[in-house]
Amino acid sequence: MIEFDIRLARGQFALDASLKSEARVIGLFGPSGAGKSTLLNVLAGSIKPAQGKVVINGRCLLDTDSGIDIPMHQRRIGMVYQDGRLFPHMSVRNNLVYGMRLLPETARRYSLERITELLEIGPLLEQRPAQLSGGERQRVALGRALLASPDCLLMDEPMASLDVRLKSQILPFLRRVKEETAVPMIYVSHAMPEILDLTQQLAVMQDGRILSYGDYHEVLTSQAVLPLAHSLGIENVLVVTIAENHADLGHSVAILREHHLTLPLSQHEPGSRVPIAVPAAHIALAKSSVNGISIQNQLSGRITEIKLVGHRALISVDISTPLQVEVSEKSVRELGLETGQEIYCLIKTQSLRYLAGV
Amino acid sequence: MDSLLLTPAETAALLLSVKVALWCAAISIVPGVFMGWLLARKSFPGKSVVDSLVHLPLVLPPVVPGYLLLVLLGSQGVVGKWLHQQFGIELAFTWKGAVAASAVMAFPLMVRAVRLSILQIDKALETAARTLGANPLQVFFTITMPLAAPGIITGLILAFSRSLGEFGATITFVGNIEGETRTLPLAIYSYTQIPGGEDQTIRLVIISIVLALTALIVSDRMERQVTRKLGISKLDD
Repeated sequence: MIEFDIRLARGQFALDASLKSEARVIGLFGPSGAGKSTLLNVLAGSIKPAQGKVVINGRCLLDTDSGIDIPMHQRRIGMVYQDGRLFPHMSVRNNLVYGMRLLPETARRYSLERITELLEIGPLLEQRPAQLSGGERQRVALGRALLASPDCLLMDEPMASLDVRLKSQILPFLRRVKEETAVPMIYVSHAMPEILDLTQQLAVMQDGRILSYGDYHEVLTSQAVLPLAHSLGIENVLVVTIAENHADLGHSVAILREHHLTLPLSQHEPGSRVPIAVPAAHIALAKSSVNGISIQNQLSGRITEIKLVGHRALISVDISTPLQVEVSEKSVRELGLETGQEIYCLIKTQSLRYLAGV
Repeated sequence: MDSLLLTPAETAALLLSVKVALWCAAISIVPGVFMGWLLARKSFPGKSVVDSLVHLPLVLPPVVPGYLLLVLLGSQGVVGKWLHQQFGIELAFTWKGAVAASAVMAFPLMVRAVRLSILQIDKALETAARTLGANPLQVFFTITMPLAAPGIITGLILAFSRSLGEFGATITFVGNIEGETRTLPLAIYSYTQIPGGEDQTIRLVIISIVLALTALIVSDRMERQVTRKLGISKLDD
């Protein structure tokens, strides 16, 4: 369990953030400059707040009121940084065991063998950090943090410096870590898809404050978060049941309530329930069903809410489950969209993406 | 050929110089690394004063530190008396005093080299080590020191070389006693003062040059090797 309440002022910037969460993984999300990294540094102990309290798994790490301030090296908070921060003068093996060696044997939760196997970094052990690719470096950094047997793992945009291909090589490992270890995590990112692959418990941060925390749906439709919606890139998360896999045609058919969806070919058995994501901005609206169009998915629903933010409109459509659609203000006017109206949501097959189970 | 062989007095000067320089480098390591680290990584009240004091020997005429050493560490000096009474250490007019004199003169060079190399170490690495459970002392010995090794080596070589060239503070503090405090520069000076000393002067000058060049080459080699070992240099590849 993670609980904090922190106040800190630095020049123009003020951090005033509190949170209490039982979630295994919290996605901390917000534009750059929101104070995400500062918050993590306060939790880890490298920045001292003017006032604050940090409790992790019932252990009080900081309480300025009662003068508790556990030094950084005794906090047992693992950090994975954007740039890896591997020690350049040590081999990968020595990087990995750095924190583990400082622990008495009884306090070591994982063995080097287990972690190298989990992260598939065995062949890298004798190499130098300078010889590693970006993705390998981050896996080693993750392994190094885990081997120090942390009570909590803080990840500060661990994939921000990786390209899409490398990201796809890291995500499965992050999920493995989530599934196979019991370490609670805070995962910081400004990329929504990345977070949704790990968790749907989100905290959204801006200007040093946590605007909203909770389940993905609540958070992204909450009033406080709306102005950020466009820059954050809202995604819908839907849970569908796979009906048929057509390997020959390269697609699958899934059922979402009364709707049939055409999806990219699934790896899941028919009958399995899988979460999928679709960005709000990738959904088009039409007042009637459209013929002679390549878009496979046309879901009928009813508009429940229209919120204007700048020149963008965030429209909630009830397709027997809520769906967020982002269109321009101009479209809203030209189509004459109103609350209560019947509407069709058009989604291209390739805009639907499988999430890795939540 | 005869002129290439050293007289016992010249040999004594050479060996004494090397001995004093080695000791100078040796006793500078711990305080030099500590002071370099302190100035690079810590902020404390009076830091600029400490910084200036450390650098003072670099800008003062060497006779001034020499004189101050004589006052402080001489047999009648406050510290000198105490050292003699407590440990039986006599510095004034002994080779140990020559070590102290050149160590004081070389100290700013050592500190500057160490400080510069510590400043170049990414602080974030030290923070990362802390989050992995290393206390500040462990961070210093496992991260800071190894990564600063090239600078520490440079500092040692600088201290060694500075000691070889030390003249003013040495002659002021410990005099010019053959076989005890007459290092190469003092011997060269002495030979220039006596008629017919040209041959000996030239031989000692050549020896000085060879010694200094050797020190430079060795330091360069060591630095390269260490840098490569640390895997922190991309320039070499």
